[in-house]
Amino acid sequence: MIRLQNIEKVYRTDTVETLAINGINLQIAKGEFLSIMGPSGCGKSTLLNIMGLLDEPSKGSININDQDVSKFSDQRLAKFRNEKLGFIFQSYHLINDLHVLDNVELPLLYRSSSAKERRQLATAALEKVGLSNRLKHFPTQLSGGQRQRVAIARAIVGNPQIILADEPTGNLDSGMGNEIMEILINLNRNEGTTIVMVTHDENMANKTHRLVRLFDGSQVQ
Amino acid sequence: MLKHLFKLIWNKRKQNFLFLSEILVSFLVIFAVFSFLTFYYQNYTKPLGFDYERVWTINYDNGRLTKNNDSLQTFYSNLRNSLKAMPQIEEVTYASANFPYSNSTMSTAVKKNGKRFDRVNFYTADENYDKVWNVKLLSGRWFKPEDAVGKNKSIVINETLKTAMFGNGSAIGQLIGDYEDKAKMKVIGVVQDVKTSGDYWPAGNAVFNRLDTGYLKDIRNVLIKVSTDADATFESNLYKFMTNNFKNSTIEIGHLSEMRDSKNEVTVIPMIIFMIIAAFLVINVALGLFGVLWYNINQRKGEIGLRRAIGASGNNVSSQLILEALVLATLSLVVGCFFAVQFPLLSVFDVPSSVYVIAMLLAVAFIYLLVFACALYPGKQASGIHPAIALHEE
Repeated sequence: MIRLQNIEKVYRTDTVETLAINGINLQIAKGEFLSIMGPSGCGKSTLLNIMGLLDEPSKGSININDQDVSKFSDQRLAKFRNEKLGFIFQSYHLINDLHVLDNVELPLLYRSSSAKERRQLATAALEKVGLSNRLKHFPTQLSGGQRQRVAIARAIVGNPQIILADEPTGNLDSGMGNEIMEILINLNRNEGTTIVMVTHDENMANKTHRLVRLFDGSQVQ
Repeated sequence: MLKHLFKLIWNKRKQNFLFLSEILVSFLVIFAVFSFLTFYYQNYTKPLGFDYERVWTINYDNGRLTKNNDSLQTFYSNLRNSLKAMPQIEEVTYASANFPYSNSTMSTAVKKNGKRFDRVNFYTADENYDKVWNVKLLSGRWFKPEDAVGKNKSIVINETLKTAMFGNGSAIGQLIGDYEDKAKMKVIGVVQDVKTSGDYWPAGNAVFNRLDTGYLKDIRNVLIKVSTDADATFESNLYKFMTNNFKNSTIEIGHLSEMRDSKNEVTVIPMIIFMIIAAFLVINVALGLFGVLWYNINQRKGEIGLRRAIGASGNNVSSQLILEALVLATLSLVVGCFFAVQFPLLSVFDVPSSVYVIAMLLAVAFIYLLVFACALYPGKQASGIHPAIALHEE
């Protein structure tokens, strides 16, 4: 489903050149739940951003669903992200000025769907994560775990094939972290969604199908 | 998307208060500027109604003249004949002090069927007034000597007053009352509107009253139409001639073309100053708007990164931010228009409604353009924000 070939990412400033990712080759099968681990600064998030088409590799190619996405225009990349990918972030990235329901509807605003359809899909997504009683709350009125569940609902509302989660339990206590992990496992198991998760937590990583370890931008396992 | 933006803006109304206030104040100032400009432009495009070129005014002190009406009549008749005998003078007329471009005004009210028409300019003019000024008659005729013996006092009115009083009907031969509705005056002619206060001011309602012998003692001006040969030497000779006739009283000769320029400057110069002040305000507001939008974008980098991640293209982000600014402007403009629309509804300053309506439309268009221009560059910059970096910064 996702094939990364010889991916390199170099960050350049006037004086310094930093190699963030060094020759990564990775294949992720459809329906797989993969976790990526490694110390801080080893390039986990960079790799996830490259897979999520939020960042361009300096070298190498990315294939998703047998499509070489490296040559996509900005417009086409945006459409691809909207339809095929869902994102979950450690710091949730919810818009505090919008209700929970409006936050979840956001990805649907960038595709042709009616307001009624958007509402129905967003409500259904929130029901899946157990937040159907918080539709009209603002994110600031929710706990960290609830906010992350809203972020998961937003990631799944468009029915993407792939979910990319960047330390989804990083800001949560173990109880809430386990709840979030349960939701992701169920999504993978029941909906067949491919999930790539970056984590620092060995316990969480052990719950996934496969673990990839990075060190200094290179794959070590 | 529009509904989404309204929701976002409404929920952030406190943060947007400064932006909304700036737009509202700017709109009101721009509305005032455009009201003036539209008013002046509308008046400027209307015909002048007379010729001022080669018309001179001779002003004198009449204190030393006899108060006897018969002697005065003879004096002024002789003066007219002497002046007309000069080859450089084509026409001579005596008129009240409120001739075109003078700083004198006289107004009255007239009545028709009990309905009162206020602020009517009241000019006193003799039989030659129309020839000196080349006033354009639309119907009827100008004064003749035989009007002196009519049952009702003869008057000539202007087009504006005629339309107000008689609509499309004929005014000739109609009787109208003076301000107390005691004496009736007979309309013998209708002239084109005469813009006596300069190119930028309306003619208003006007009644031309025939100068009779009883008014001669109040005359202080002789108006003459000169030929193209009238030069400085002639002016000097004319001055001497008038000084001799008026027993060395103070004589002033004025040229109507210069008086017209002065009169127009009185309107144009304050307007230019007002426009410069308004331009400074607009520049400040534009910089303010630019700053607020720029600040907003920096504050919302995380949101922009998120939108890019979930499917917004660079153009989507740019359009959203511009649209947001325009929606905000719309909210301010709704409030602004509520205040602005009171002006035509209440007929403030007796200015035609069309002036306020046009000014409102122009001000709305101007504000939209200003906001669009101020949002364009920050919007473009926002579209260039790298989503991975924006999400990481947040």
